[in-house]
Amino acid sequence: MISMTGVYAGYGGGDVLQGLDLELAHRSVTCIVGPNGAGKSTVLRTISGQLAPRLGQIRFGGHDIAGRHPARLIKAGIVQVPQKNGLFPAMTVEENVLLGGYLRRREKAYLRGRYAQLAERFPLIAERAGDPAGNLSGGQRRTVEFARALMLEPALVLLDEPSLGLDPRSLGLVGDTVNTMRESGITVLIVEQNVRFGLGIADRGVVMESGRVLMADSAKTILDDPEMGALFLGGAP
Amino acid sequence: MRIMVIGAGCAVLALMPVLWGDAYYLNMLILIFLLAIMASSWNIMGGYTGYISLGQSAFLGVGAYTTAIAADAWSISPFLAAPLGGLVAGALAAVLGLVTFRARGNAFIMITFAMLYLLGIVALNWTSVTNGNDGMVLPALTWSRDYALWPFYYGLLGLLILTLLMSRAIASSRFGLGLTAIREDEEKAAGIGVHTSAAKLAAFVASSVPIGVAGGVYGYYLGFLDSRAMFSIVTSIMIVLAALLGGTGTLWGPVLGAFLLEPFSQLTNQLFTGPAAGAWRLIVFGGLLLAILLFLPKGIIPGVRQALARGRPAAVGKRLTLTAVPSWLAVGDGARLEARDVRKRFGGLTVLDGLGLTVEPGSITGLIGPNGSGKTTLFNLIDGAMKPDSGTILLDGRRIDGSSRWVRSRSGLGRTHQITRLFPKLSVLRNVVAGSNGSWAAPAITGAQAARGAELLDLVGLADYRDLPAGELSYGQQKLIELIQILMLQPRLVLLDEPAGGINPTQIEQMGALIRELNRTGTTFLIVEHNMPFVLGLCDTVHVLAGGRRIASGTPQEVRSDPLVLDAYLTGASQ
Amino acid sequence: MQAVLFGLLVGGVYALASSGLTLIFGVMRIVNLTHGALLIAGAFLTYTICAATGVDPFATIPVVGAVLFGLGWLIHRLVVQRAEHGGEGTVILSTLALAMILEGVIILIWGHEPHSVATSYARSSFRIGDLVFPAAQVYGSACALVLLAALHTLLNRTWLGRAVRAATANPQGAELVGIRVERINVAAFALGAALTGAAGSILAVLSPFTPDSGDQWIGLGLAIVVLGGMGSLGGALVGALALGVIETLTATYGSPAWATAMPFAVIVLTLLLRPQGIFGVRVREDVVSA
Repeated sequence: MISMTGVYAGYGGGDVLQGLDLELAHRSVTCIVGPNGAGKSTVLRTISGQLAPRLGQIRFGGHDIAGRHPARLIKAGIVQVPQKNGLFPAMTVEENVLLGGYLRRREKAYLRGRYAQLAERFPLIAERAGDPAGNLSGGQRRTVEFARALMLEPALVLLDEPSLGLDPRSLGLVGDTVNTMRESGITVLIVEQNVRFGLGIADRGVVMESGRVLMADSAKTILDDPEMGALFLGGAP
Repeated sequence: MRIMVIGAGCAVLALMPVLWGDAYYLNMLILIFLLAIMASSWNIMGGYTGYISLGQSAFLGVGAYTTAIAADAWSISPFLAAPLGGLVAGALAAVLGLVTFRARGNAFIMITFAMLYLLGIVALNWTSVTNGNDGMVLPALTWSRDYALWPFYYGLLGLLILTLLMSRAIASSRFGLGLTAIREDEEKAAGIGVHTSAAKLAAFVASSVPIGVAGGVYGYYLGFLDSRAMFSIVTSIMIVLAALLGGTGTLWGPVLGAFLLEPFSQLTNQLFTGPAAGAWRLIVFGGLLLAILLFLPKGIIPGVRQALARGRPAAVGKRLTLTAVPSWLAVGDGARLEARDVRKRFGGLTVLDGLGLTVEPGSITGLIGPNGSGKTTLFNLIDGAMKPDSGTILLDGRRIDGSSRWVRSRSGLGRTHQITRLFPKLSVLRNVVAGSNGSWAAPAITGAQAARGAELLDLVGLADYRDLPAGELSYGQQKLIELIQILMLQPRLVLLDEPAGGINPTQIEQMGALIRELNRTGTTFLIVEHNMPFVLGLCDTVHVLAGGRRIASGTPQEVRSDPLVLDAYLTGASQ
Repeated sequence: MQAVLFGLLVGGVYALASSGLTLIFGVMRIVNLTHGALLIAGAFLTYTICAATGVDPFATIPVVGAVLFGLGWLIHRLVVQRAEHGGEGTVILSTLALAMILEGVIILIWGHEPHSVATSYARSSFRIGDLVFPAAQVYGSACALVLLAALHTLLNRTWLGRAVRAATANPQGAELVGIRVERINVAAFALGAALTGAAGSILAVLSPFTPDSGDQWIGLGLAIVVLGGMGSLGGALVGALALGVIETLTATYGSPAWATAMPFAVIVLTLLLRPQGIFGVRVREDVVSA
């Protein structure tokens, strides 16, 4: 589906990703975990084109997509849901969701149909269609962001800390949405601080530290690994 | 050497009328002095403080009209009335300067721009006082025609020298250091104790008074006041151009700019004649302004300085070897901090949800918790960057949640930022001393402060970087500078936001040793950190936040073995 | 009553003249001091086209709009984008520099003398009861309503409009849905210039103009946007009407000379007392802080 080999990337100061290798299987849900500063979010930014890698390859659909403009990657089927502030607060919920279809803006019928599907899938969208997105709660904003990401029927969805700032009930919604994505054939890559939650909804787990992959296995194996506590709290628990 | 050049320059200018009384050149020099006075004054607000005024010529008009009216009413020489023009200009600036309390950038430019046009219209229409369209005639000259220009020449030359002395005094005072700190990062300046509102207001007044006085002299020189010429946007543009050309924020830049620009302006007057002359001048000066903005944004003097500095070898840092902490840093007993039932929401998100915690005096207290648990927000509430929705914050038992940032900083609270915030263009030493106490009139860096700054730089092994712009240091070095910048204030409570983030393991170890050493002399520390071995090894007490509440507190051992804590970390902010 | 009516009609013309600035300053947050010069450039272009071909001034709008669109495009590409690296101050000063250059060029081409575009209908007036409606102002106000409605539709109903608002509110979020923020900003700025040019064409019919009339219009435009609150088209319309009424009442009950001071007084007072404008709401803190 997508594979990264020997990727080095960073923000001027130095490389955050230090020769990262990562491979995602088609239609899988993978969750990257690891302590702060391990480079988890940088992986997503590199895949989505917001950050060009300094070295290394990112292959997707038979091409090397490293360094391509985000707009071209969205067209190719890669969308990212950012950690925070992804929405346009003064615009309505409907406008926010529709903007997810910006790149196919000329196909009115398609957009209308797709929007109707999503409004059915997420009742909140229909209920609050005319409200400014800035008036929504944290969990509701997440829902709008998910719907927006699904407007173009992407092949790969990148979720950056989807649990951030959410209450337990909204967390359930996030889990449901990820399940739906998996069922409809979308590959999902999640970066999560909330290790139990993230690995709980994923098939595969990847543990990162210092810009590299420390361990990759089934989500369950990683979740049950006794070393995890040590990784997060330092030293033996 | 430098003094000799300046002295020689002054002597030549002072002898000019006596030795070489050609009226054409005297007139040109008078106009150069005038422009230099205005540009140097503008520079105090526009260059040092970073607030660009597009209406500075309004003070010229205000000064000229005030002087003319006063001279007429009391039948005194306009020279005697000119200082009054300066006073009125200053009073006007004090009122308009209030806008800087609430907004920066665009709003200030617009309000000065609008003020200029407004006052021009007032001068034109307030006929009973200003004589409106017919203009005002000033008294005839009372001295010999042979020396007609001399009083104006010497008057404006003297005023220029006074203006430059003021500009230099400001630049080398604590007040001036505060102004440059505001220009570089206004919020940070407030955070280290600069009284930003008062400083900005004072700077704007200082940048208006000399222009007001000059207006009085200039009006008399012209002999006739026409409201359109006195309140002209063109004059304001010339002021900005002169300052930009020579180099804003420097003492001599505006003067150099005036000496280049005024003759150039006279030249274009001669070059372009006929009906299209005005059009060509607009194009030439507009083009010049645009060219400077896009291709020489720093101006001549800083540009040349930069080119000269390029050849110089960069300083090399020593390894950090921890020397003893200077004795003046001992604060006796550190401060106690308490937060009670603090709440903060952003839009639909609750970030702090009834948080309560205590930081005991003299402790090193850690604050840990998953991303989004509210740690940095708590810091922002403690140091005054944001206001809590409800709840109280007490420093040594006194409420601080309502006080402004610089007050909190003065009462012994210091804070570093997750992403280090220094004043990048100021030298390392200036950064270090920027927040320390002292009256506005005190030198920017007193001997004692320089000595203390040097001691602190020694302490972190960065003494060799003293005179480099802080922005050129590595990230880890900047972190250390931000820490000692706060130490200059002799804080009793230091908030550190990720002191170990983004620096290498050796530096982390040294940072830990430094904190421990400082704590031994009494200072209380509250540390937000994600590096667990670092924070758990350093702290006496650790508070754990999750979901905007405190879920556990205790010694590092207790916290580490608390199942609730592990759970919070593994499940993020959601408990 | 008549004075208030006059004021509203004058305000309608002001709304027309400031519509481009409402987009560039109000929505995109660029204080564009070339606004006045662009407006006058539009008026002179209309004058020349009408003089050469004898067509109705309203027919020149597409041509004038297109020329100004190109000019706006160049200004944003070559100047505003570069100046943005130097911060807000640099952007404002560079648009001021451009305004000077543009005014100089206009004088070189058309000279200093006042110009006007004569039409048969502009000097007439309608009567309803005791109230007089000068035709020129009525047409101007009608055009303003049409233009503002078009702008409103554009911003709220078209993809370009959505992209402009998205790119201004949250550039990073905009990139994540595939909006090319730089291109959108150029296009929106150029569109604002085109609107300004179109307004200039209509103003040419309403009153005589000189190359330095631009100064007066830039003050008016800034006052309207500042008073109406940033980013609100309705606010800009109400701001324009309010300013028209204030000016007319000042002229009627005070003196016409003082009326010209009103826009500047409005800017100073609004910024001092209520920087968010009458209809502006302070933007809410909208961040998740870690």
